[in-house]
Amino acid sequence: MKATRFLILALLVWSLAPLTWQLYTSFCIDQALVTPFASLNQRWTLDHYQSVLNSNPPFIRYLLNSLFVGGLSTFLTLLLAIPSSYSLSKMGRRSSLVIKFFLIGCALFPYVLLFLALLEIARYLQLGNSLIALAVPYAALSQPLAILLLTNAFSDLPAELEDAARVEGLSVVQRFRWILLPLISPAIASTAILVFLFSWNEYPIALTWISDSGKLTLPVAMARIAGSSIHSVPYGPYAAATVIGSIPLILLVMVFQKPIVSGLTTGAVKG
Amino acid sequence: MFTIRKRSLILLTAAILFISSSLLCLSVLAKRPDNVSILMAAPFADSTSELVKIFNQKNRGRIHLEVIKGPLETEAISDLAISSLLLGNTPFDGLLMDVTWVPKYAKAGWLESLDNYFNEDDLNALAEGADEGNHYQGSLLRWPLNADIGLLYWRTDLMDEPPRTPQELESISQKLQNGGRIPYGYVWQGKQYEGLSCVFLEIIDGFGGEWFSPDSGRIGLDEPPGLDASEWLNHLIQTGVSPRAVTNFAESEALQSFKSGQAAFMRNWPYAWAELQKNDSQVRNKVGITTMVAEKGHQPAATLGSWGLSLLKGSAHPESTVEAFKFLTSEESQRYLYTKYGNTPTKAEIFNDQKLLENYPSLQSIGEALAYARSRPETPLYAQISVVLQRKLSSSLTGMTTPVEAMQQAERSTAQVLEAAGESP
Amino acid sequence: MPLLILLIPSLLFLVAVFALPLFRYTWLSFHADSVMTGLVAIPNQGANWQRFIHDTRYLQDLFQTLRFSVVSVTAEIVLGLVIALILHQPMRKRALIRSSALIPWALPTTVMALGWRWIFNTPYGPIDRLTQSWLGQSLNALGEPSIAWITTVYADIWKTTPFVALILLAGLQTIPSDLYEAAKLEGAGSWICLRRITIPLLLPYLGLALMFRLAQAFGVFDLVQVMTGGGPASSTESIALYAYWNALRFLDFGYSATIMIGSFVILSSLILITWLVVTTARNRSQQSLAR
Repeated sequence: MKATRFLILALLVWSLAPLTWQLYTSFCIDQALVTPFASLNQRWTLDHYQSVLNSNPPFIRYLLNSLFVGGLSTFLTLLLAIPSSYSLSKMGRRSSLVIKFFLIGCALFPYVLLFLALLEIARYLQLGNSLIALAVPYAALSQPLAILLLTNAFSDLPAELEDAARVEGLSVVQRFRWILLPLISPAIASTAILVFLFSWNEYPIALTWISDSGKLTLPVAMARIAGSSIHSVPYGPYAAATVIGSIPLILLVMVFQKPIVSGLTTGAVKG
Repeated sequence: MFTIRKRSLILLTAAILFISSSLLCLSVLAKRPDNVSILMAAPFADSTSELVKIFNQKNRGRIHLEVIKGPLETEAISDLAISSLLLGNTPFDGLLMDVTWVPKYAKAGWLESLDNYFNEDDLNALAEGADEGNHYQGSLLRWPLNADIGLLYWRTDLMDEPPRTPQELESISQKLQNGGRIPYGYVWQGKQYEGLSCVFLEIIDGFGGEWFSPDSGRIGLDEPPGLDASEWLNHLIQTGVSPRAVTNFAESEALQSFKSGQAAFMRNWPYAWAELQKNDSQVRNKVGITTMVAEKGHQPAATLGSWGLSLLKGSAHPESTVEAFKFLTSEESQRYLYTKYGNTPTKAEIFNDQKLLENYPSLQSIGEALAYARSRPETPLYAQISVVLQRKLSSSLTGMTTPVEAMQQAERSTAQVLEAAGESP
Repeated sequence: MPLLILLIPSLLFLVAVFALPLFRYTWLSFHADSVMTGLVAIPNQGANWQRFIHDTRYLQDLFQTLRFSVVSVTAEIVLGLVIALILHQPMRKRALIRSSALIPWALPTTVMALGWRWIFNTPYGPIDRLTQSWLGQSLNALGEPSIAWITTVYADIWKTTPFVALILLAGLQTIPSDLYEAAKLEGAGSWICLRRITIPLLLPYLGLALMFRLAQAFGVFDLVQVMTGGGPASSTESIALYAYWNALRFLDFGYSATIMIGSFVILSSLILITWLVVTTARNRSQQSLAR
């Protein structure tokens, strides 16, 4: 028992120590960062947070942009993936296997390699600097995983259930709305969270599609963050930005830990 | 009671409607101001913010200038500018460009020529050195905002005279270090990035060589001066004159180290001067500036790192944009930018201003060094050949290859890059 | 038939995002399309491929990317298994502990990449201060080529191990507990249980995590771009970073496309080989289990 407790402690230190250090850094004055053990009269400050929050555009803007893109692409993904996975679960074994293989192939593709072609598409269709347009490639890139997860959820439902509903005279839409969707809602929730996390964290495409500073998403804004001055290494504001940028996700994980774990448990690997 | 209130409400609504519609008419009748936007790296966006306000006040109703604040690092802002240009629909009218971008942007067809906006007199008013790197294939494509050059900073409290040759720099450093007066001799930019190419250019020229000449297609890395330069930089780290960590130093790290009194020499740009005179600096009033060291018999070289304003193709208001350029680079603006932010001026007149020189003695040394300004190779392929050099230098500085091998490999890779692009050397 | 109609929108999207780019890259790879051609595509008779084959820089980046992928994925699988086993135990505050362990995975890569740059900073970061006071020597974690790539591997392990643990945790929950009870009755210790029951039954999950992670690690981009920019001495430069530079910094789209399509071919064959190895291993273990 003692060994387990020690392991848990080690695990927590491993995961949280870097973040704690960033938290500490974000409250230190610049002088204290360079000489951490010197005794300084004034060690703590909120300046870094002020400089990050008052920058132009304010940091909150990036969070809102990411939230918007994340929300929209999650919605789009589900809109496409739910019907697709339903039909995939009802398909014959051989044809569904072919499609599943194709999907797995797509899911395994390192999508970074697509950025040049996507940039050309954005240029050709004038999609640059639009957060709404950015949600489209995100939704497309999330399709394989979303369809695979949801297909498994649909396949787990007993076939008699739908037959019974059909006998009762419910139309396809009604069956979907009143029987199937409620039953797979846990799987939908966990897929939604995974897609949201992907869109929130995505970097290379946002980097090439968005150049307008008012429309940057969080990961790009972080990489591009302009310190208040060129003359010193702006680690204080960096750290403050890290902390502010992490808070929404930490909350998200805290609240949705259960569906995240259970979503993958529903059998992502059965295919 | 009720009717009165109702009537007054109607009156109020009518009044509001009347006023707003007449305002709308007026604003439509009056010429809408030209909206001009310029993308700048963060420090320049900050330093010009007051000037922009003045410009907008002066041109109220005619031109509205907006400066878009880009990221801090040169490479990050280049990525940003290029991706905005690739996305099409030029999102800004003007771009503050590093001197090395000019040929590439020109060749890609993104720049509008400025020949019609600036005349011979304007060009002649530029200080020697500041007039370099603004043309490509005969047309003026950029108007300089500042004239950054690489300088050698030295500690006046540790020595009477700055070193003139590489050997002197080393021996002074070692004497000071052995005497325990200072932990390190010389700090510079040894990280694998553009700054390392700037450092190297000064040394190879100081040894009498040339990195690459776009006109003749000759590469000088695998020649005695190139090899000497590479070996000398390596030697600095080996002998401890420069700290090991210099292989991860950019400008700000070098400045931090020098500012806290840990080194006798530093290579940096002119802006560092103002920073070293601040209250929290350990070396306040103990710093001199001069040109980089050079081998006996050769001229010192100062890498030109200037920033300038370019007009982008597709701008809706080219005249107004150039007007903004002229205001931002006027003598008055330059004086302000120099005294307040340490941005090196580009007009010859300012360097001869006796009153300014009295208050800012460093200006004289900067002006003298400016005469030794050297551009990095002016070719659209610059980014590629510079990356080749940085890569090989970095691997020699970190002990992965010998300095000689590094230069041989760099020479070969540079030739390959040129050949692949159809520019056979 | 109506079933297929429901699938069509998704499939069209996938074709647009995955298949079209590959065709476009293939086409571009036979054209010069760079700043020297004024950003216009001109056929160049396979010159890009000639250059690709002889590109020592690509070769170095390929080696480095594979080194990064293999080392980090191996470590992630081992550590991920350990973490999954810990998190699977009944314990107090399990939800809170699970959430805390998941946090690194949820954060954007660029956010922590900046953090790592500060943590491994020489000489002011905490790690360097520790080595300075303990070993009397600076570690120079981001300035020394032989160490910098390990630093990036470490950062990757920190971020993605929770993801691997998550998949394995899902797998652990599918193993019926009476299997363990039966084994305990026969006197098997926990080590034997792990080797005979847990790992064989987890194999499909391990294989899934392995393939997913290998593919992603092969495309490593955000982390190195922000943390090291590829340096020092290009020792952390990845294939994706090189392709990105060719496109956005050197404005050579023809060659950038060549790198990407070339890398795609290399990666596909690697995945195929891994998949074959994993399936044969799985079949073999199932046979031994049946016996």
